[in-house]
Amino acid sequence: MHINYKLQDKFDFSIFIPAVGLIIFGLLAIYSSTANHPTASGNFQKQLVFVLISLVVFIITFSLPLQTFKKFSIALYGISIFFLIAVLLVGKTVYGAKSWFGIGGFGFQPSELAKLGTILMLSYWLTYRSRDINNLKDIGVALAIGILPVILIMLEPDMGTSIVFLIITISLIFWSGISLFGLFVVLSPGVVAIVSIMGTYAFIIALLFVVAALFFFKKDLFNSLTVFVINLSSGFFFDYVYKILKPHQQNRIASFLDPMADPLGAGYNALQAKVAIGSGGFLGKGFLHGNQTQLRFIPQQWTDFIYCVIGEEFGFIGSLLVISLFLIIFLRLFKLSAIAKDSFSVLVTIGVLTLMFSHFAINIGMNLGITPVIGLPLPFLSYGGSTQLMNMVMLGIVLNIYKNRKLHT
Amino acid sequence: MNDNHFGSIFRRRIIYVVIVGFFALCVIQLFNMQILQQPVYSEKSDENSVKPIYQLAPRGIFFDRNHKVLVGNKPSFTLRITPSNYDTKLTPYIEAILGMSPGYIDRILKANEAYSKFIPRKIARDVSFKVIAWYEENSSKLPGVDYVMETQRDYSFGIGGSHMFGYTKEIPLGTYQKRKSEYDIGDEIGFNGIEKTYEDYLRGEKGINYLLVDSRQKTIGRYMDGGEDQQAVKGADLILSIDKEAQRVAEEAFKDKRGAVVALDPTNGEVLAFLSAPEYNLEDFAKVTSNEVWRELNTNPDKPMFNRASMSTFAPGSTFKMISAIAALEEGIIDTNSKINCAGGYQFGDRYFKCLHVHGSVDVEASIEKSCNTFYYSLVNKLGLDLWSKYSKKFGFGAKTKIDIPEESGGIVPSTEYYNRVYGKNGWTRGFVISLGIGQGELNVTPLQLAQYASLFANFGKSAHPHFLKSYVDTKTKEKYDVKPQYFDIGISKKSFDIIRRAMYLVVQGAGTATNIRLPDIAIAGKTGTAQNPHGKEHSIFVGFAPYDNPKIAIAVIVENAGFGSTAAAPIARDVIKAYLKKDKKEEPKNLEVSQLAEGANNAH
Repeated sequence: MHINYKLQDKFDFSIFIPAVGLIIFGLLAIYSSTANHPTASGNFQKQLVFVLISLVVFIITFSLPLQTFKKFSIALYGISIFFLIAVLLVGKTVYGAKSWFGIGGFGFQPSELAKLGTILMLSYWLTYRSRDINNLKDIGVALAIGILPVILIMLEPDMGTSIVFLIITISLIFWSGISLFGLFVVLSPGVVAIVSIMGTYAFIIALLFVVAALFFFKKDLFNSLTVFVINLSSGFFFDYVYKILKPHQQNRIASFLDPMADPLGAGYNALQAKVAIGSGGFLGKGFLHGNQTQLRFIPQQWTDFIYCVIGEEFGFIGSLLVISLFLIIFLRLFKLSAIAKDSFSVLVTIGVLTLMFSHFAINIGMNLGITPVIGLPLPFLSYGGSTQLMNMVMLGIVLNIYKNRKLHT
Repeated sequence: MNDNHFGSIFRRRIIYVVIVGFFALCVIQLFNMQILQQPVYSEKSDENSVKPIYQLAPRGIFFDRNHKVLVGNKPSFTLRITPSNYDTKLTPYIEAILGMSPGYIDRILKANEAYSKFIPRKIARDVSFKVIAWYEENSSKLPGVDYVMETQRDYSFGIGGSHMFGYTKEIPLGTYQKRKSEYDIGDEIGFNGIEKTYEDYLRGEKGINYLLVDSRQKTIGRYMDGGEDQQAVKGADLILSIDKEAQRVAEEAFKDKRGAVVALDPTNGEVLAFLSAPEYNLEDFAKVTSNEVWRELNTNPDKPMFNRASMSTFAPGSTFKMISAIAALEEGIIDTNSKINCAGGYQFGDRYFKCLHVHGSVDVEASIEKSCNTFYYSLVNKLGLDLWSKYSKKFGFGAKTKIDIPEESGGIVPSTEYYNRVYGKNGWTRGFVISLGIGQGELNVTPLQLAQYASLFANFGKSAHPHFLKSYVDTKTKEKYDVKPQYFDIGISKKSFDIIRRAMYLVVQGAGTATNIRLPDIAIAGKTGTAQNPHGKEHSIFVGFAPYDNPKIAIAVIVENAGFGSTAAAPIARDVIKAYLKKDKKEEPKNLEVSQLAEGANNAH
């Protein structure tokens, strides 16, 4: 017991073990969905290699001095932005998005690196000595740090990932103690923009709410007008963006509204995923016995729709176990955010939590038909080397933060 | 404000609520989907991956009255093309291996364009094993091409019978839309003849094999290891009243002639032989019928597709004389002593109607035996149009006989009302009526009606509607169900029939017009006729029945463009009568157990 206690003091098993559990579930699901597949049958072995490599990288990041991350945050962010620009110029197009570098046999997604870069950079900037998060200029810089990769990733275009960056940015600014007015300034343009797709009347009503809110905050005329103009223009801007979206992306938004309307089109995956999960029942159809999975009714199931393999073959019990493992990790990270030794560590922890949770929520939500079909991998489970690697790097960093929580410098 | 600082309790709570709240939402949704709505999703999942493959049921077999096979089934390979996967570049190769002329496949695909392109089209039926072997070797290079084994009609049992049996063809789009619940696209449906009338008996029930398919519809295996599959049920076998031997003799006799034979059992209306010559080859319709065959059949001047036996209409000539005679006897206009002097013709107004001979003094018996026209010119004049027309109709003329095939004409029996309609009230004269007395003029009858007419003389005015179906055998229960004939009585006295029947007896057995067909052991009674034909040589007609004392067969024969009734038609009638009665004497219908019959049916596949 004594040894165990000491070990637990240095290494948080309640984060690590659930993560390993999820990785094992992921490997099983990848095996099940690709075992007899004509083109993807090698994916299980590949994923196994990714997992082993990422474990090594995990140990490295866990062992590094904690200050390293703070020191390299600006450099890492710079490299990330460089790669994000480079991939737009020389990247490889996969599934309609220019988001990959091909290096030898393996591909690499710079947006994965940028996740770490952006979390570290934002944490660094927001916790730098005399920062006032309620100063419009400081908010502006923080937003700029977060929005730059959002725009670059939108250009690939990879909607899902850019949404994640946006959520991380808002989450970290929020955590830093932004005032209600500040939060309003940050969030209202986004809300207005989304409402604007619903039609002109919805857009006007949203703007009226903005005006009402501005009266409520009783700021001076200049600030109020500025915020209003930002809202107005964001609506028009988003409408413009919606129109320049690729048809398959417009379809995805439309198909969320009624997945039954076009069962063989864009809503097909969402519908088949629901059928797979629903037909799993309480105990599931058994490993390798899900007909939706084995008969390949869900294309590319080993990536974004990995959760429905579990839903179908392991049933309610398996599905519940997987999301419970996630819940343990999230609550553990949440607790870590309270005990980390400095505010930089806290923000990094919150950033990792936000990143993993937003991936989780968007992916599971899509599989369960709660949220629109937005292609995002499920952390630890989905097939993919870059994602696996970055998740383990982040796990290494947060466990490193845990290890160093009591040290005072 | 306490709430507005880095990582405040307030902010922590919000994050906490978001995480736990979303988790709860997921649990609720999982519970809803996997526990509450599991049956709904399960069904959808099965629908997705379980594909029913329908097995066509073999059609019922046709047996003759002695349980000999008339039409059977045989296995055949059908080559199909599914346009959604098909590469039209393959067309020349497939046409070459099938021995079809270029453009053949294109035509079939064009003709079926209205159907979904995922439904396979039958390109050729009954393709040889060589073609199937070629396909099996090259199937990977032939996307969208496949074959199925089906049963196909087998007509190799020694008789034709094309017009009564009829054929099946792929269900036409219009019919399909009306009977969607019963048929699928590409199903065979009885198109004419017995195949059409008894379609519901013959088609059986399709079998279903449930296959597991993946999202590309590729077969992975059998659903529940075939536990849910249903076997196809063969259609009910039909026992027809046809006598195969009599039918064969009739077909033999008509090898190089045009015309028709209809023989009935006068006691119950059963059709014993039914021939329309020339016939067409039913084999041509068992395959996917090529345009060449169609063109040949439809442009042939002999019109082989036309069912002469129940659809062709013509003036029956002297065979119709018995109508006037029996009407006059019944109405008391003449009796057996009534005589007329035949001086070779009959003067009516300013027209002179000729007789073939100078018969001298003629009574009603001699008028039929010798076929004296003068007697009937005079008689029909006395009788009047309305009575003549009434009795014609009593004997079934001018109306369909209700035989159990769809192809039938009613013919025309002129009446006052008819002439008024066609010529106007004052546009016709009594002179029109005179020629009706000898069965000429605007009178139109079918061979089938003449056979029914002969039946009524044979059986003293009692018979049943002509029909082919004696009984059918339910495949599942092996039970035999007999079809009840629909009897009728035309209500004419035996006395009158005795007189006319005696005269008809003398036509063959006395000094009449058909003594050439007299048989030593079978007493045939009948009447010859010659139908005037505006387009060429007269048609030769004979109606009759036998044996005279106890008639078992009534017959009508017409040979087109063959002249006198006695020379062409009567000998054929004799041969068919002989074939039926001789055999009938030798071997009574085998008293087969129904189960044995079903055995036979299975062997005849």
